[in-house]
Amino acid sequence: MADYSKKRFLVIDDQAQARDALRTVAQQVGAFAVEFASNYQDAIFRIRNNLPDIILCDYMLGEGRSGQQLLEELRRFNLLPDETIFMMVTGEQSYEQVVSAVELIPDDYIIKPFSPDRLLLRLDRIVAKKLFFAGYYKEKRQQEYAKALAILEAARDSEAGRPYRFEILRQRAEVFLASGDVKSAETAYRNILENYEFPWARAGVARSLHKQNRLQEAREEIDRVVANTPHFFDAGDLKASICMAQGEHAEAQQILDEMTKKTPRNYLRKRLLAEAATLNGDTATALAAMADVIANDTMPGAISAEDRLATARSHINAGDKITAEKVLIGIRDSELQKMGLMEQAGFAALLAISSVEKGKIRFAGLRPAMLVTEFNSTTRLDIMRAALSLGDHEMADRQSGQLMAGPDAKKVFGVARTQYALHGREKDFREIQRQVALQRIKHEEDVPPAEAADPA
Amino acid sequence: MHKLLDILASGVHDAKNQLFIAESMIAAAEAAHGIALGEARYAIESAANRLSRTLTAYHLMRHDAAAAVTPTIVGDVYDEVMLAQQKHLAERGIVLSIDCQVFDEWPLDRDLVTDMLNNAVQNAGRFAGQVVHLSATTDDDWLCLRVDDDGPGFATLPPATGTGLMVAERLAQLHHRHQRQGSLRLSNDSPLGGARFELRLP
Repeated sequence: MADYSKKRFLVIDDQAQARDALRTVAQQVGAFAVEFASNYQDAIFRIRNNLPDIILCDYMLGEGRSGQQLLEELRRFNLLPDETIFMMVTGEQSYEQVVSAVELIPDDYIIKPFSPDRLLLRLDRIVAKKLFFAGYYKEKRQQEYAKALAILEAARDSEAGRPYRFEILRQRAEVFLASGDVKSAETAYRNILENYEFPWARAGVARSLHKQNRLQEAREEIDRVVANTPHFFDAGDLKASICMAQGEHAEAQQILDEMTKKTPRNYLRKRLLAEAATLNGDTATALAAMADVIANDTMPGAISAEDRLATARSHINAGDKITAEKVLIGIRDSELQKMGLMEQAGFAALLAISSVEKGKIRFAGLRPAMLVTEFNSTTRLDIMRAALSLGDHEMADRQSGQLMAGPDAKKVFGVARTQYALHGREKDFREIQRQVALQRIKHEEDVPPAEAADPA
Repeated sequence: MHKLLDILASGVHDAKNQLFIAESMIAAAEAAHGIALGEARYAIESAANRLSRTLTAYHLMRHDAAAAVTPTIVGDVYDEVMLAQQKHLAERGIVLSIDCQVFDEWPLDRDLVTDMLNNAVQNAGRFAGQVVHLSATTDDDWLCLRVDDDGPGFATLPPATGTGLMVAERLAQLHHRHQRQGSLRLSNDSPLGGARFELRLP
């Protein structure tokens, strides 16, 4: 039995009586220091400022928030080290369904009512498990992926690893994914599926295929997951992303529209909705979603430069260049200086579109860098649009060529063609497409078939 | 959403929250005054389990019950059943023993299986003379979870089933893997001379 007297507990529950009950139970297992958080924001504040050892979190936190959402946000901001124990507490049997499906799970969950003895049994188990994986956690945190994998391989074959065989396989797949070895990740998830049809493992296969740009296969896998486990919302997000990559923006938006109604305070999903709506030409939805994100995603540091650029982009799409300009000018100099080259390029492009007068000098200054730097497709689109409106054909054609040759070609095709059409350059756009296709054929002839890029 | 189901689920949820508050107060009183109120806590947890099982039975009758399968350490499930039932059985002079020969994680619905076993041990305890025995083995890639007792055995086979057994049978069948399906076997094959409850999961 572990000694819990020196551990710091944090009890998170919106109901005062339930908080007291959880504290009482924690004290019976030996806890000395038990802190309270009465809502979502308070919980994040306390965890950021003084990380507890053990978190007991109720699943229902009120105000449309859940303990699962808190867990996801803590992971998103790297506020929850593997060593910290996160235990979900719930009276809802339905939470089991969540845990059995999703990729991001707490260390354990316990259903009310429960005795101090039972909590102790559960905590002891988690402590034993964390001790078993301690060396692995350390390597993973330092991104020493090869070492982390070696530890898992050894653990898999050891007698002591027998009780954790699925956990070891799951961690292995996640390390492959994190390290960018997406082929091995795919194989690792498929190995798990040979054993049992876990929704999170099937989603892992889809995620790995998406990263290999094998979109049709990824779509088939994720369709299965979403059909069988509609409450697995992260799978829905992944499906929407795959749909966007396939150029099926209306479908992506529809999925996200439905899910954001059920999870109105998930702001990562809101951002994804804004992206899908933008690609789908639904500017009003994109604007509303970004306004909600900027106003309500209250985590410090949550609102990024990209969010402000996304808002400005939505205003431009709505034909309101004055408001777009206002949003861009409103970004503080200190914030501008902290931006990376990609955000700076996006900023310059959007400003040049909103106000040629204010933006063109900055755009010209970054032009040499824009010609040679690898940017994501959103930034390339912004630069292409700005170049089209400034009459800079070389820059516009360079960006659209790169876009059509890149993995996001299907995703941005419609938007790019529309922009060329707006400037009366449809013919030129078709020519760029033709050149890219010729290049691809030539490339495939040069490379032996087995190594050729997947056509999907 | 299904309205009746929502009302039932939220009622069960609220009741379990209240029961948890009561149980925590009892636990605090036990610690503060050095008294043993384990039977009171046992009654509270049994009531909560009964509520959950009723909701599960309703899901089963609507045919929308699904197993929430997670990798589970079988020994851990047995430890929990032991913790929940041992003292209560001891009050009546019955010994609960465990022999778990399964050491790898197994994909199963932990909460449903724990509840089924708790229910089976409770039933066995009602008829046992001195011993209830829990065992776990693997047999040709099946997980076999057994509850044996030394009572008179089932009077008729198959026995007249109450809610608990009906639920257990249907829940066993919800466990699917590689085109195989779980099952429940009730017999008088207990090596202790009494009844045997055997859950076979793929």
